[in-house]
Amino acid sequence: MIAFENVTHEYEHAVAVRDVTLRIADRATTALIGPSGCGKSTLLKLIVGLVWPTQGRVRLGNDEITPANVEALRHRIGYVIQSGGLFPHLSARDNVTLAARHLQKPTTWIQQRVAELGELVQLPHELLTRFPGDLSGGQRQRVSLMRALMLDPDFLLLDEPLGALDPMVRHGLQDDLRALFARLGKCVVLVTHDLAEAAFFANRIVLMREGEVVQEGSFDDLRSHPADDFVREFLRAQRVLVPAAHE
Amino acid sequence: MSKVLAILAALFCIHPVAAEIVVGSKVFTESVILGEIAVQLLTEQRIDARHQRELGGTTVLWSGLLRGDIDCYPEYTGTLRAEIFARVSVTTDQELSRALAQQRVWASQPLGFNNTYVLGMRRDVAQQRSIAKLSDLAAQPELRLGFSNEFIDRGDGWPGLKRAYRLPQTDVRGMAHDLAYRALAAQSIDVTDLYSTDAEIAYYDLIALEDDRAFFPSYEALFICRDDVSDEAKQALNRLAGSIDASTMAKMNARAKLDHVAEAQVAADFAQRTLRSTTQAQVDSRASRIVQRTLEHLAMVGISLAMAVLLAVPLGVLAYRAPRFGRVVLAVADVLQTIPALALLVFLIPWLGIGYAPAIVALFLYSLLPILRNTHAGLADIPRDLRESATALGLSRFAQLRFVELPLAARSVLAGIKTAAVINVGTATLGALIGAGGYGQPILTGIRLDDLGLILEGAVPAALLALVAQGAFSAIESRWVKAK
Repeated sequence: MIAFENVTHEYEHAVAVRDVTLRIADRATTALIGPSGCGKSTLLKLIVGLVWPTQGRVRLGNDEITPANVEALRHRIGYVIQSGGLFPHLSARDNVTLAARHLQKPTTWIQQRVAELGELVQLPHELLTRFPGDLSGGQRQRVSLMRALMLDPDFLLLDEPLGALDPMVRHGLQDDLRALFARLGKCVVLVTHDLAEAAFFANRIVLMREGEVVQEGSFDDLRSHPADDFVREFLRAQRVLVPAAHE
Repeated sequence: MSKVLAILAALFCIHPVAAEIVVGSKVFTESVILGEIAVQLLTEQRIDARHQRELGGTTVLWSGLLRGDIDCYPEYTGTLRAEIFARVSVTTDQELSRALAQQRVWASQPLGFNNTYVLGMRRDVAQQRSIAKLSDLAAQPELRLGFSNEFIDRGDGWPGLKRAYRLPQTDVRGMAHDLAYRALAAQSIDVTDLYSTDAEIAYYDLIALEDDRAFFPSYEALFICRDDVSDEAKQALNRLAGSIDASTMAKMNARAKLDHVAEAQVAADFAQRTLRSTTQAQVDSRASRIVQRTLEHLAMVGISLAMAVLLAVPLGVLAYRAPRFGRVVLAVADVLQTIPALALLVFLIPWLGIGYAPAIVALFLYSLLPILRNTHAGLADIPRDLRESATALGLSRFAQLRFVELPLAARSVLAGIKTAAVINVGTATLGALIGAGGYGQPILTGIRLDDLGLILEGAVPAALLALVAQGAFSAIESRWVKAK
């Protein structure tokens, strides 16, 4: 479980996240959704310790995330970003295994894990020797996913993982990913601005606006009981049919 | 047992080798010839001696002498009075020897010539107008005078001379010293100022007018040495007392400068003829000279560059990690870069003496900025998402640096080292001015003797070395630095 307790994050006089209290359940996929700048990516960065709360605290399971324990906690988190974030000077395999080698995992364990993950994300084995620059966008995201899953983390955080892909590739990868999340049974948090994608993946949707959580619930909850006009407007903008509000 | 004793006895019988005497000389031909003569005379007396030739100016030699980097060098009494003891009054000879003694410096007997200012004329013109002495000039107001710009302004130059001899000439112009000789030869001027031992006096068949009222101060040539050189060495140098008159010196200058005879040969010929000595000139072949210069140059560039990499790369990393500290460090490196190379070398001499040490330190300081700046820029330019990905993987700060940040910055860091190397190859040619040798040596000599061949002997290998350095770093880059 990931818990935000009255978390505020400010930077340079602006507020990215304002007094957010939120629980993200294990063994489920939660989508953080909202317009650009609503603070959804910042929530992910707060979990990984790339930014820190100016107020409140973030807990991962039973542990509050602090600068002292964050390095160890990161090994329990997989993090995938829109651009993939692969290191261009390392081959796909070296990207995937970097953290495991840093932790001095046995070579045989590493090899076995890479084979498993390659199968899981359906990446042809021979592509592992290539450098990121020689892979397609979809292949890069599969490698990035392998890297995130290498240490078998409890939490998988994805920040617009399909945002940079063209629609065909994106569609195929969506199917693969949903199957993968179901199979893994991990706590998955997905940031997207696309409601259809959120609905496709997530058991639970958290809709944000200007650093605050506006509504939290299943897609049906949002559609049938929008919390306010913003939610209604957001759904309509995404071409989702919303019942008229009871005047 | 007796054997051991015998060996010990043999060991103690060996006298400690007397320290080698280093004779310095300035960057002009006369000084180099005198240095060469001194070394040959010392060597003849079985005193180990070496010539550290063409050091960059009086300050370098004088501080080198006081520090013990050199033991002796040829100097002029006027220079000692006007430059070295400028702040104290040393008018008489006794005052001068006392001032030298206070600095623990010994002075030889004067060598016999006075390299002072003289006024010169074409011999034929002077004879025709029956001019032999400076006082003869007063009666001929129509003479056209052309003086070096310095001479026109100095108190001991034209203004003083005019007063002392009541000279009436009004056609007086300033011009470059070298051009004055041509102007005389072309008869567009009649009189110019010269140094009394200039090689060109004989070459252009000029005569030096006698300073019959003793207006010009005396620039007696002599050797000065550290007081602690051996008495044998002092005696060897004193053999030269009064043995070189102005015309002998001028002829030697002419042979070296105009006929391109090696200074060592000129010196040996003088010693054999005048002192009946059996000295020998040792003139190295061009190939062995180039090899020697290359080694000296490589040592300077290589050592300074390696030290700079060891300091500047970690400093660049630190500057990137701690931006406030980084700004200070980069500003300091910027300032270091703006110090003129020659000034920096001369600043370093009081602490480090002459030779390799100050040259390497100066090159090291110049290498810091490009490496520091490029390391910092290479790290700062890493895209944010890559830095965050490395952090999110749970790598330690060191591992992030080692496996992600430094490899990504490698291209930029290498480019910085390459820049520093190429700059160093060029700047190291100045090392010759402070006795570090290298490709600068033939360039200095070539400029002094107006010998294009010698200048190229230094300039061409220096340019080639810069290209080789550039190529080597490009090869390293394409071999080890992947990434796009």
